[in-house]
Amino acid sequence: MNRYVLYLSTAILLMTGCTSEPKKYSESTAPSIYPDFIEITVPSNIASPNFLIEDEAHSYVTVLESGKSKVCIKGRKVLIPLRKWKNLTAQGDISVTIYEKREKGWARMKPFSIYVSDEIDSYLTYRLIPPSFMSYQRLSINQRDLTSFKEKVVYANSMSAADDSRQCINCHNFRNWKTDEMQFHIRLEQGGTVMYRNGKLSKLNHKTDSTISAAVYPSWHPYKNYIAYSNNQTFQNIHTNNTDRMEAFDEESDLILYDLDNNSVSIIENDADEMECHPNWTPDGKTLYYVSAYIGDPDQFMSRGGAAFNNNEVKYSLYYRRFNPDNKEWGKETLVYDAAALDSSITWPRVSPDGTKLLACIASHGVFPPYQSEADLIMFDLTNGTHRYLDEVNSDLAESYHSWNSTGKWIVFSTRREDGMYTRLYLSHLNDDGTFTKPFPVPQKDPQHSLKFMFSYNIPEFTIEPVKVSARELAAFIRSNDAQPVNYEQKREE
Amino acid sequence: MNQKKENNKTSLIWYSRLILPVALWVILNLCSADFLLKVEERSHFEFDWFWFTGFLKEPSGLLSWLGLFFTQFLYLPWLGSLLWVLLLTASGELTVKIFKVPGYLSVLAYIPAFIFVVYNMSMGYMVYLMNHPGYFFMPVLGYLWALFTVVIIRKPHNPAASLIITIIIGFAGYYIAGFYALAALITACADSFRSDRSRLSRILILTAAAITIVLSPILMVSTTEYYIGTGWTLGLPDHVHTVPLLRMQGALILAMIVLLLISLLPHGELNGKKYIPIIIQFALLVGIIASTSILWYKDANFKTELRMIRAADNMKWEEVTRILEKASQSQDSDWQPTRVMVTLKDLALIKTGKDGDYAFSFSDGSCEQKRKWDVPMSIQIGHTLGFHYGIPGLCQRWCFETSTILGWKNIIFKYSAMTAILFNNTALSEKFLTKMDNTLFYRKWAKEQRKLVYDRSLMQKTAPYDLVLPLLCHEDRITSDLEGCETFIRRHFTGPSPVHSTPMYDRAALLFAMKSKDPTLFWTRFVLYLDSNNPKKIDRFYQEAAYLYSQQGNSDLLLKALPFDEQTKNLYKSFQNLAQRTGPKDLEEANRIFPANLRHTFFYYYYYVNNLKLF
Repeated sequence: MNRYVLYLSTAILLMTGCTSEPKKYSESTAPSIYPDFIEITVPSNIASPNFLIEDEAHSYVTVLESGKSKVCIKGRKVLIPLRKWKNLTAQGDISVTIYEKREKGWARMKPFSIYVSDEIDSYLTYRLIPPSFMSYQRLSINQRDLTSFKEKVVYANSMSAADDSRQCINCHNFRNWKTDEMQFHIRLEQGGTVMYRNGKLSKLNHKTDSTISAAVYPSWHPYKNYIAYSNNQTFQNIHTNNTDRMEAFDEESDLILYDLDNNSVSIIENDADEMECHPNWTPDGKTLYYVSAYIGDPDQFMSRGGAAFNNNEVKYSLYYRRFNPDNKEWGKETLVYDAAALDSSITWPRVSPDGTKLLACIASHGVFPPYQSEADLIMFDLTNGTHRYLDEVNSDLAESYHSWNSTGKWIVFSTRREDGMYTRLYLSHLNDDGTFTKPFPVPQKDPQHSLKFMFSYNIPEFTIEPVKVSARELAAFIRSNDAQPVNYEQKREE
Repeated sequence: MNQKKENNKTSLIWYSRLILPVALWVILNLCSADFLLKVEERSHFEFDWFWFTGFLKEPSGLLSWLGLFFTQFLYLPWLGSLLWVLLLTASGELTVKIFKVPGYLSVLAYIPAFIFVVYNMSMGYMVYLMNHPGYFFMPVLGYLWALFTVVIIRKPHNPAASLIITIIIGFAGYYIAGFYALAALITACADSFRSDRSRLSRILILTAAAITIVLSPILMVSTTEYYIGTGWTLGLPDHVHTVPLLRMQGALILAMIVLLLISLLPHGELNGKKYIPIIIQFALLVGIIASTSILWYKDANFKTELRMIRAADNMKWEEVTRILEKASQSQDSDWQPTRVMVTLKDLALIKTGKDGDYAFSFSDGSCEQKRKWDVPMSIQIGHTLGFHYGIPGLCQRWCFETSTILGWKNIIFKYSAMTAILFNNTALSEKFLTKMDNTLFYRKWAKEQRKLVYDRSLMQKTAPYDLVLPLLCHEDRITSDLEGCETFIRRHFTGPSPVHSTPMYDRAALLFAMKSKDPTLFWTRFVLYLDSNNPKKIDRFYQEAAYLYSQQGNSDLLLKALPFDEQTKNLYKSFQNLAQRTGPKDLEEANRIFPANLRHTFFYYYYYVNNLKLF
């Protein structure tokens, strides 16, 4: 019996005890790994950040240490077992040492740390889309469990429509990081806005005679049954000779408020000489931030070719309007940041959960930053009106859609920093001093996933719980229900 | 003596069956090698685990993967077609063996294979629309799976074992081969009634098959995340744009029905009737050959296009024009090329610097492609035109559009990689080149391209970049190509001139100015052409256009100042004389009246080649 215990102990030791860690080695420089997880800060509940050692060597040993735990992994692909990773993160910051066996023996690469910090919301929902121009044969809204590598389809356009009449699906959105209430849009075949509320599904057509389009970019009111939307007439053109391959632009856009209880929409903003977009509520529900671009006389603008020919002149600035949630009265438009005057364009304002900060995107022009390589993230301190570019987060290529974690401690943002074409999701932690930690990609089971995966990720949204309706339920509902009309009601102003 | 005769009869029957595959292989290589190459370049297979696991997400994914595995060998048409023919032959021979098809009907066993041949070889322009990975080999592989299923289910005679085996092979088979596995279960049921198994065993097989056929697709729908169409037809090509579902699936379903019928055929030979077996056999053979020959897509223009596109993709520009020249010579005088041919011919002439002397030497026109379904020119050659005409944005657009609609293909990866290299985007180039590294036949190409990623100075002297860079001198423009890629290219070259132009760009711009028949635009471009090209002698067709517009404008100054050849003046005179004398009303009439030397002039193009439908 004792003999078996001895064998078992030896086997466990061999598996966990880092017997392969070289004893003799020379010191070397910092290793090159992909994805770059060197000196990053991760949430304590995140899945293991598997990586690939890019340096050429005969063999590799990676040692991860935290407190009393030590994990050794052989090979170029460092796939950290989830359970062991959780043990490591439970004990605090992790030291990573890579040994590379070369011609002259083992070299110990400069060790680096992975710092462990606040938990992150467990679920991240995004859309997977090939970086096409007009086609969308396969689109899906997926949800990733950030604490593991599990990913599930929330809804895929292949579930309802045939190959030659595929839907475009977009703008999934949740209220207050919970999944009791969510919405997304379906365009074309079986189109409408799909609304899931506390177990009930509905499909709506927000287009009325008084509005220019169906509902587009949403923002749920934090506690009242309202959703602020933009209405957009969106088009796109291609570049003939530019790494930024295309331009998407609006020829018209307004803001509307949808009252879920009354099933009615009212206009928030529809100035003829302005194009308004990207509404976002503050946590107290009393202010709506949005962006707007002045185009002058719309007839003149269109006679010059509209945004199609003048998109580089269309520049959005940041505004807000006060709102009385009880009687739906709107205050005056207030300019927050005159980006247009600074020859730039601000988009996607997102207020932090505590209401003290606003994260936005800034580019040279237009309202679609993913297509502009110069697009960066900018943050406003709403307590003192200051702002700064997030240099510690931004790259030379496009940073675009971004979301706050429910605690306000983490952000996720879309970026094309890896290859300029495929959008990937990066996470970053907000420090107490208002700076962000080095961003890193959402960990994947296969470290080369991003290199091989031929879809882009966009519209990342955190939730604290999984989506509660199944993809099959959604598909069955979408297939068998037409979009219901909504009523129109007059806007109320103070 | 009788035994000898019987042997002769058997040999004849055997040889008659053997004739088909051998003839098929020869014909495929002699007549359809270009088509097979097109099938291959519009597919993609990687030796990569990550890529493989993508196929496991839905039933019939494995069959798709296997189909793609075989498709890659069409890179060498003789090899790919040999594998295909061997699989087809195996399907026929195994059918004979498994179902003990009597000798006098053995050619019948080849009918499913014949349907697969017709299905693939009648495709024509549909080859551009096929989005089902591995579609070329899938039918025969699915059929073989069906035969395997029948054999496996036939093995156990114990009723309980039959039940279990049927369920296991049914569910596993559905996951592997989708529709083909379900069709196999029906055939296995029919087969069970021919064998000497017990009644209970038959009932159990029937029950198990019915349960599997009903339940497996339903279970799939309830478990898989991507649900496409009905679960029962997974593995068959789905809707593609405007192609009807019957065209996509009908023949393949028919093939499996034939298999079912074969499984019901009576055993035994027609004893005593000496010649009847041979007559039946040869009648079937003749029928198969005749119908295959009729249904085989044989359009000459399609073939010419395939060859021209391939030559262009391989930067064999002289060959592009040679193929067109040869094709037009074999036609009568009112033959018109398709727009695919014209755009490729113009491109080739620009690349070889022969545009000025040969652009109008070829018949122009807008012959409709012989197809039933809409296949946009952008899907056919948008990437090729965009890249080689020096408009990488257009190339990139159609690479991504095509890959999104129809899936990633070798040709699309190639152009995507080359565009990324042109844009100096190392990471993106690596992404696409790595995909090609994982292939069997393109890894060498990827290795060569990678050199350019890390040493851009090589581009100046490496094809195709050496002839693309001179056309890439234009400033970026934001525009739309919804009107079609040919119109887009014409608009591109007739638009604003680049600040820093090149001789090649100015020649291309001049050619498209001539095609626009706008004299003002012509003179603007003509000056730029003279300035940048500084020709010792003005090219023939540029002279003709200049002479025509000078005459039209009564510009004595130009007529005297420009060094027009006597040949140009004489041709113009002859042309005007004949035109005034005969006054043809349209191109068709003009084609009949004008001799070749006058038809192949800019004058002729200017006056008679009108209202061409561009794409």
